[in-house]
Amino acid sequence: MSSDVTEPKWSLRLPADCSIAAIRGVYDLIREAFGRQERLEIDCSSVDRADVTSIQLLLSTAKTGEAQGRPVVLTSFSQSLRNTLRRAGFASEAMIDQHFPQKKDGT
Amino acid sequence: MNAMDPTEVFRQEASELFEVLEGALLDLGQRPDDRELVDSAFRALHTIKGSGAMFGFDKVASFTHEFETAFDRVRKGEIRPTQELISVALAAKDYIRALIEDPQSTDDIIGEAILDDLRRFVSADQPAAPVAAIAEAPPLAPVESKQAGWHLYLEFESHILRNGSNPLDLLEDLCKLGPCFVVPVTDGIPFLDEMEPEDCYLKWDVKLHAACDKDAIDDVFMFVQDEMKLTLSPLAQVEAPVPAPLFLLLDEEQAPVAEMAAPVVEVAAAQVTEQPAGKAEPKPEAKSETKTETKTEAKREERGIATVRVQAERLDELMDRVGELVIAQARLSQLAASGSDLSIKMIAEEIERLASSLRDTTMGARMVPIGSLFGRFRRLVHDLSRDLSKPVEFVTSGEDTELDKTMIECLADPLVHLIRNAIDHGIEDTATRAANGKTEQGRIELAAVHSGAQVLVTVKDNGGGLNTARIRAKAEEQGLIAAGAVLTDHEIHQFLFHPGFSTAQTISALSGRGVGMDVVKRTIENMRGSIDLSTRPGQGTTVTLRLPLTLAIIEGLLIRVGEGRYIIPLSAVEECVELTAEDERSRGRNFLNVRGNLVPFLRLRELLTASGSPDKHQKTIIISTGETRVGLVADQIIGNHQTVIKSLSKLHSDVTIFSGATILGDGTAALILDVAQLVTLAQSKVEKQHLSEAA
Repeated sequence: MSSDVTEPKWSLRLPADCSIAAIRGVYDLIREAFGRQERLEIDCSSVDRADVTSIQLLLSTAKTGEAQGRPVVLTSFSQSLRNTLRRAGFASEAMIDQHFPQKKDGT
Repeated sequence: MNAMDPTEVFRQEASELFEVLEGALLDLGQRPDDRELVDSAFRALHTIKGSGAMFGFDKVASFTHEFETAFDRVRKGEIRPTQELISVALAAKDYIRALIEDPQSTDDIIGEAILDDLRRFVSADQPAAPVAAIAEAPPLAPVESKQAGWHLYLEFESHILRNGSNPLDLLEDLCKLGPCFVVPVTDGIPFLDEMEPEDCYLKWDVKLHAACDKDAIDDVFMFVQDEMKLTLSPLAQVEAPVPAPLFLLLDEEQAPVAEMAAPVVEVAAAQVTEQPAGKAEPKPEAKSETKTETKTEAKREERGIATVRVQAERLDELMDRVGELVIAQARLSQLAASGSDLSIKMIAEEIERLASSLRDTTMGARMVPIGSLFGRFRRLVHDLSRDLSKPVEFVTSGEDTELDKTMIECLADPLVHLIRNAIDHGIEDTATRAANGKTEQGRIELAAVHSGAQVLVTVKDNGGGLNTARIRAKAEEQGLIAAGAVLTDHEIHQFLFHPGFSTAQTISALSGRGVGMDVVKRTIENMRGSIDLSTRPGQGTTVTLRLPLTLAIIEGLLIRVGEGRYIIPLSAVEECVELTAEDERSRGRNFLNVRGNLVPFLRLRELLTASGSPDKHQKTIIISTGETRVGLVADQIIGNHQTVIKSLSKLHSDVTIFSGATILGDGTAALILDVAQLVTLAQSKVEKQHLSEAA
């Protein structure tokens, strides 16, 4: 799994496969990162396999972060992840922004 | 605890789906208009495809997808499932099975050839309208009211993703029916700590702006209808200008998302934020009927806990442990009986009761309906019938009859032999049948029924019956009997079980080499069963297999002959009577008068060469297999005994009258008498006596 948690940036890069076949590992990774850091930045640029489970995991991460007052920021959505989001009905940037706390590149 | 490899789980599940698929395809050959069969086949295909993709069987997924696509025209009722098409579909199923179970044995060229055949069949009967047009055109059957579309609320069971189903594909299919507002409902998403990442939490609220038939929507969800809650209500009218349909957005991935989807988002976002849980229930303005097409929660929960998959080897291990427990319990009972401590006796009785109950429960857990075995032969008959150009009707009954799983496994090969023989040798060709005034289609009946502690499995054909004269001639030719020797028909038919014996004039791929019936007999007898043949010239042959319910533990009758102790399976015991002085006087004839019926008997002391003098009051145990009764004379009947069967060593493999051994409570061994062999022995003695008297 090509992911890393780099302390100085508090960033977790999601692996390429975030589909149901690998989602358990991604889930463990996020929980582990949550346990270690106050704030979490999740880099979604490498994701090339995504499905309903990936979307749900990101939604749950955002919801948990918000409930615990620990900011979670998602960055650099890959095209594959965007396509999956649109197929699930998150059909515009505005809607994605509403559900997923994003940090746009350069912001 | 060793967790099962997920790939292995998929293989097992796929194996069950293949049975469903094969059964549906074969039934479809008989009932081509049965929509439920088409749907059933399609559901199995769809699940194999989805699960295959999920577990990394990409070749399986792509081949099954092609298969599904080709077969889709059958589902749509555009072409009829002919026998030829069914045969190709069965070949496709076999190919997918090979891709899963033994990928090395497969060849892409074969797969392509099968797909070409499928495509050829489905396109041969193509109607005027091009396929693409049909696929794109939503079923525009007139709807009940003049509604402008449908409001749907989709809630899937949590495990649906694990089954390989993908709600996003379903949404995409739905969007093909017309412009859709798809709004994900996220209120069910749990916190991370409460989450099962493979479960489905998202729900969807969809407005479909197309006046399509409800059936068209049902079609989209047909594979998951038992695993979801679909709330459907008509939209009274178009509420707003029809938005850009989602499926168009999906096709144009390069376009800027925000720009294209803006109208959808505004509506969607508003709805999501305004509506709390349960918000997507039908709105008041949807005034027509609302139908919830679901199974109840209770039923779903019930299904969830109804069965649990257990590895077969664990059941074997459990049975072994129970066997050891039964032996230990017998020792305890014997020890308690020899002492005077009442409390020990009470505990021993309690443990005996519990061990007996545990034995029954464990054996029950190993019981499998024989229908799982019968299903396999439908394909065999189908293929043989086609290859030999003999139309054959295959009828099964008693599929619910349960047998120990080990017995089921052992029974498969013998039944294959018997069914092959029945079709190849038994059923005549159509011309002969017609000449004999029979229907063109032959008939094979495979049946199972409980008979006491045994199961009778019969293979019956309505063919020409056994040719006794030819069997006899062949036996003489092979030097098995002297020319002109006096033999009963029953004895002559027994030559069929002789190794290398065949009356077939030509050797085919199926039979005629004389290999088979002897193996069948040996296999059945190794299972402590027996095989019986009955035939009527011109009307057919019936082969009956008598099998014990289990191979592991049986109820036995413990007897003593001289110093030795022996077990007779209780299932074979009819009654016990004392050998009277009158019976003793008939020595030489060895017949017992049981309420006016003469029953031959065997003196076990002579048979087992027991030492010492016989007891004064000898006992006779009347045993039976089928309609044959035989008495076994023993010195003493000790009583019932739970018998844990242990195999005999190879050194004893030639001793045919014993089928195994068991360990008694005092640690000594007792041999288990093979009832079938004893009856055969007695029968042959009787027949020889008859023949010598006649001579």
